[in-house]
Amino acid sequence: MSPFDFEPVLSARNFSLWYDSQQALRNINLDIPAHQVTAIIGPSGCGKSTLLRSFNRLIDLVPNVRVVGKILFRGMDIYGRGVDPVEVRRRIGMVFQKPNPFPKSVFENVAFGLRINGYRGNLRERVEEALRLAALWDEVKDDLHRKTGYDLSGGQQQRLCIARALAVEPEVLLMDEPCSALDPIATAKIEELIRELTAVTTVVIVTHNLQQALRVSDWTAFMLLGELVEFGPTREIFTRPKDTRTEAYVTGKFG
Amino acid sequence: MRRKAIGRVFAGVAGAAVGVSLLAVALLILITAFQAGPLTSMRAVAEAGISLSLRSLEVPGAREALTYVTIAQVVAGSPAAALGLSRGDALVALAGTGVDRPSRAWEAVGRAPGGRAVTLPVVWLPRAEVALGGLRAEWRNGEAQVVMVSPSAAAREAGLQPGDVLLAIGGIPVSGTRQAWEALVVAARTQGVPVEITVEREGERLTLFWDPTRTGELTFVRDPLRAWWSFLTTLNEPRYPERAGLLPAFLGSVYVVLVMAAVALPLGIAGAVYLEEYASQNALTRAIEILVANLAGIPSAVVGIIGLEVFARALGAGRSILAGGLTLAVLILPIVIVASREALRSVPKTIREAALALGATRWETVRHHVLPYAFPAILTGTILSFSRALGEAAPLLFLGAFLYVTYVPQGLRDSFTVVPLQIFAWATRPQDGFAAVAAAAIVVLLSFLLLLNAGAILLRNRYQRRWSE
Repeated sequence: MSPFDFEPVLSARNFSLWYDSQQALRNINLDIPAHQVTAIIGPSGCGKSTLLRSFNRLIDLVPNVRVVGKILFRGMDIYGRGVDPVEVRRRIGMVFQKPNPFPKSVFENVAFGLRINGYRGNLRERVEEALRLAALWDEVKDDLHRKTGYDLSGGQQQRLCIARALAVEPEVLLMDEPCSALDPIATAKIEELIRELTAVTTVVIVTHNLQQALRVSDWTAFMLLGELVEFGPTREIFTRPKDTRTEAYVTGKFG
Repeated sequence: MRRKAIGRVFAGVAGAAVGVSLLAVALLILITAFQAGPLTSMRAVAEAGISLSLRSLEVPGAREALTYVTIAQVVAGSPAAALGLSRGDALVALAGTGVDRPSRAWEAVGRAPGGRAVTLPVVWLPRAEVALGGLRAEWRNGEAQVVMVSPSAAAREAGLQPGDVLLAIGGIPVSGTRQAWEALVVAARTQGVPVEITVEREGERLTLFWDPTRTGELTFVRDPLRAWWSFLTTLNEPRYPERAGLLPAFLGSVYVVLVMAAVALPLGIAGAVYLEEYASQNALTRAIEILVANLAGIPSAVVGIIGLEVFARALGAGRSILAGGLTLAVLILPIVIVASREALRSVPKTIREAALALGATRWETVRHHVLPYAFPAILTGTILSFSRALGEAAPLLFLGAFLYVTYVPQGLRDSFTVVPLQIFAWATRPQDGFAAVAAAAIVVLLSFLLLLNAGAILLRNRYQRRWSE
């Protein structure tokens, strides 16, 4: 059970993962609080991206992956028998390291998720709503159909990807170093946006940038060599870490 | 210093390779265009209304046969018919040049000074019955003798009488009734008119001089555009190169390639999508990949055997367009698969992840994103394979496609020929003019291939997506 007093939306239970014979995640136990921002930090290769991709079963795309343990999403084991990964991904959205808009119009980028989910309502309204949520609406409203995702700047592209993910109203939004390819101004905009997203969804963000974790997250998980070393409220992790390895990392002694 | 030298050598080799290929293409175009040159004057002669045929006359003691040209066909209502030329007449001279073979006539028309239309003097000898009248061969003293039974009016005028025995014409000994006329044709050309005729009348030898030829003027329209257009759009007349048409072969090629595309494109693209997007890396997948790679290396003639045994015989498609298209489909299938896989691979993984992360199924990801984005590149690759198929003769030869088709195929079960086979058929004909026709067909095929490839390049430049990295 969680030592903290919150209702987890997503939990890893004794979760381990192997690529072929190489173990990438070791017995992870982690609870993600709803409508908050959780940051996963750690040095390169510690397994934070692997863990993130395990949350929406995108890890299935990698050949020869083996998992042991559970990941519970609202109490359901997403690796359980009979669970359709497509269904999981519809409810848990993802934003990637590099902006990856489709080479289609801005509108079609956002509408795609709605279309394949057989959305019956007003497509235009939903697209506008998602673009507003992603703070992109004012910049693209005049060129919704004329501009393609590739005509936008890097920061705009990433916000488009966020809007695309938000359009299907995911219960969790996974973000895999969403600002690593962006300049500081675009990064600031995205960070501001992440704070606001807690109103509509739960955010899990993997980041390399400790300052960013400190700025945007409520909770922080520190991983090292495939293990979850420490999890707690962000301020505590950065100011009073319990584990010496966490302290060494957040104070910049390695990483 | 040494590294610089190696660089220079490499640049030299690379430059030479590019230069040689450019030179080869330029030479190919120049040579075939030059070879196809007579086409214009050939069509001009045909349009004036006559088809020519090469004949020869053997002269005892001569090392080579003397050749002459007869008019094998006169189109009713044509200028030639109006002039009085008819089938069986011999063409003696055109524009002042003696015509000893058909190409001489075409050359004369081609060389004549003047504009698009030229009016040239024609000298011809009417066919035997008209020119000489009735002849009879008799045996006397163990030798054939040709006796004039009923000389024509012209022959009478020259002094020939019934009962005259023809001994020699223009110095050529007469040995038969047909040969007598042939000697007259050859003598008129080689020695000029009047022709010296030696006869025996009542035991005496007489020498007469006679001009048996007729003359007139014929207008030839030398229009390259019209010549090429009619070459492209007329049915084939296999006997006369001046009336050869590429239409059946051209349409045959188009139909066969359409059938091929209808079969190979969906199959090849589906195969590529399976291998790229669905197949897991296992022994079976690797086996399929090796198979595809090897299929691409099979000599095209061997593919023809598959076509013959499987499509033509076992499936009973016969030597039809259907069988031809299926055979070519087997030939290009591996190329389509390889090109399509390459195109699919060029769509970044992140695009697939983006779609899948939104809850798209694998198929939705392929159908809405990967395939549409890869399609221009797929098309470019496959168009190049089409141009390979268009140029293939060997597999269809094996299949038993016809070399001469004089009609336009109407359906999938019709027999057919294709342009490369037609070129092959023409190129192996020894008669005058077929070389030019074959060259003209090569020019057509080359232009078509260049157009296709240019289209592929344009398509690539226009639609190729550059993925941001």
